[in-house]
Amino acid sequence: MGGTGAERRRAGWRLAWPAGLALAACSGSQSALDPAGSEAERVAQLFWVMLIGTGVIWSLVIGAAVYAARVRPGPHDPAISRRLIHWGGIGLPVLALTALLAYGLQLMPELRAAGDGLKIEVSGEQWWWRVRYQTADGRSIVSANEIRLPAGERVELTLASPDVIHSLWIPNLAGKVDMIPGRVNRLVLEPTRTGNFRGVCAEFCGASHALMAFAVVVVTRPEFEQWLSQEAAAATGASSAELRRGAVLFEQVGCGGCHAIRGTAAAGTIGPDLTHLASRRTLAAGILPNEPAALRRWIAAADTIKPGVRMPSFGMLPAADLDAIVAYLASLE
Amino acid sequence: MRLTLRRGLLILAALAGGGLLFAWSGLFNVAASGGHWPITDWFLHWVMRSSVRTQALGIEVPELNEPAMVQRGAGHFAAGCAPCHGAPGQPQSAVVTAMTPPPPALAERIAAWQPNQLFWIVRHGIKYTGMPAWPATGRDDEVWAVVAFLLRLPELDDGTYRRLAFGDGATAHPLPPDTATLERLLPRCNACHGPGRAPATAPALAGQSGPYLAATLAAYAERRRGSGIMQLAADGLTPAAIAELAAYYAGSQAGSPPAAGTDLALLPEGEQIARRGVPASGVPACASCHDAVARYPAYPALAGQTAAYLAGQLALFQSGARGGTAYSHIMAMIASRLDDAQIAAVSAYYASQPPRQRAAALP
Repeated sequence: MGGTGAERRRAGWRLAWPAGLALAACSGSQSALDPAGSEAERVAQLFWVMLIGTGVIWSLVIGAAVYAARVRPGPHDPAISRRLIHWGGIGLPVLALTALLAYGLQLMPELRAAGDGLKIEVSGEQWWWRVRYQTADGRSIVSANEIRLPAGERVELTLASPDVIHSLWIPNLAGKVDMIPGRVNRLVLEPTRTGNFRGVCAEFCGASHALMAFAVVVVTRPEFEQWLSQEAAAATGASSAELRRGAVLFEQVGCGGCHAIRGTAAAGTIGPDLTHLASRRTLAAGILPNEPAALRRWIAAADTIKPGVRMPSFGMLPAADLDAIVAYLASLE
Repeated sequence: MRLTLRRGLLILAALAGGGLLFAWSGLFNVAASGGHWPITDWFLHWVMRSSVRTQALGIEVPELNEPAMVQRGAGHFAAGCAPCHGAPGQPQSAVVTAMTPPPPALAERIAAWQPNQLFWIVRHGIKYTGMPAWPATGRDDEVWAVVAFLLRLPELDDGTYRRLAFGDGATAHPLPPDTATLERLLPRCNACHGPGRAPATAPALAGQSGPYLAATLAAYAERRRGSGIMQLAADGLTPAAIAELAAYYAGSQAGSPPAAGTDLALLPEGEQIARRGVPASGVPACASCHDAVARYPAYPALAGQTAAYLAGQLALFQSGARGGTAYSHIMAMIASRLDDAQIAAVSAYYASQPPRQRAAALP
């Protein structure tokens, strides 16, 4: 193969990047192989044990095949062959699978045990997440498209759906659990370290299924308490004339028909609660960075960003009105 | 001489060639001045009647006795049909009677047709005559209004017709000074939208916002919003005239709600939809956009329109026939989530509400 050194290096990169991607998928905010929760740790552990185990078994089987076909072709001793088939083909799989089943069954009670007190109701809806925190002391706090968890505690999620089947999956924390219209499923999360993770819908649920994600933020208990009390509070009033104009426009244009901003007249329950929109990490259910430019783009052209979305686009608003609404929403920390 | 295939084909070719030669020669006279021979006239009408009879099969006739529907049809008849067909107290002009075929004076012809056949004729028009098709698609509701009027036409005398088509001449809203444009245009608008006519004959405009009215009129004038009635009425309006008309109606005092019987049983559900929406189906409260005295200028008020009008518009949103302004996609999306019973309920509720004057809003 000819070519200059630079060409060869580029060719080398082309070969290397799929391998790099594959490795990159092993660590990060959306990976089951970089566990940050007790269930995900078991899943990862099982994965590695089974990967190594199947590797060993695969090598033995292929080795035996090569031995029989190439190293010593010809007839083999029927008694030894029969014993090999009985023990290796029946006995060993029964033993291995029984051990795995026992291990799996033994894990279940622990993983399904009740949470420590905090409960979070999550409803998957086309194509966002309605979130409600129910604290042990009886508070009920509505949020959306983001789940905050205190590290080291077992938190019970109840999963439901009003429209079609969704599935909630936070790979770093636990396996996925379906959200099925007409029933409530449970999932207990026990994050083992703080960090930012990403959850997704893992069941095809319509045109924008791939655009239905959410941020997961694991913090310490004191940080969680502080955040929760801030989340429970009503929105802070608009502090400048421009923000007040945005607040009036938000109401006039009809945003409050679907969205709630606690502390104002907006009390809609059809779409996400926006009371503390600006304090969230993402917009539009985990698909846009939470910054004013992205917020403006979302309000103006929601249907091109998320095809089939149930929110009408408001790109026809006069630019000044749109800017005022964006500024107001961006102030809702 | 025996007729063989070859000879038959030769004869056909000679006939076709002869026909083309005759057409090319110009000896056939297309003059309207001569009219048709009686046999041609009979044959053409026979073909037309047969066609209408067959094409109109299966068209279901709605309730056509609503007085508002008849008035609406009458208003359009006066503007769109009477110029050719004449009307009670308004004989056909010498110009139109010189057409071939001459447009019939309709009063004595209506009895010859069934309502579904009249609908078909008004909706589709008739080829090789001067009869045009309905100018907007998806507006069968308007065509039926004209049919409702046509069924009444044979019994109308001059005065009754004028009252149906133009109202009883109740005083219009007071005019601002310097109103040459308005003086010319308003009689046309008020024939249907004026006091004593709206909201029954056509939606009430008084008290709507200027920007909403202007955007709507522009959508009709530029044929982005389909309506055989309003496209004709708004044809040729200049942007300046649209602005003047919009400002005039926006500044007019909103009238009283429609008197016609509201179905009281529907009001509780209607109020619930208007104030709370139907969250389970993604329908926001109508009030979040339409009710505030200081509502957004692009949005119309609903209180004080008739239930029939509101339900009809929601159905047009559902079928995709209503649109043409920058904001119509919002309502199209919401209307698609309402069912017929909800539409009936919420329309009855808003018809029962007194109209409220819009107030300017922003800080």
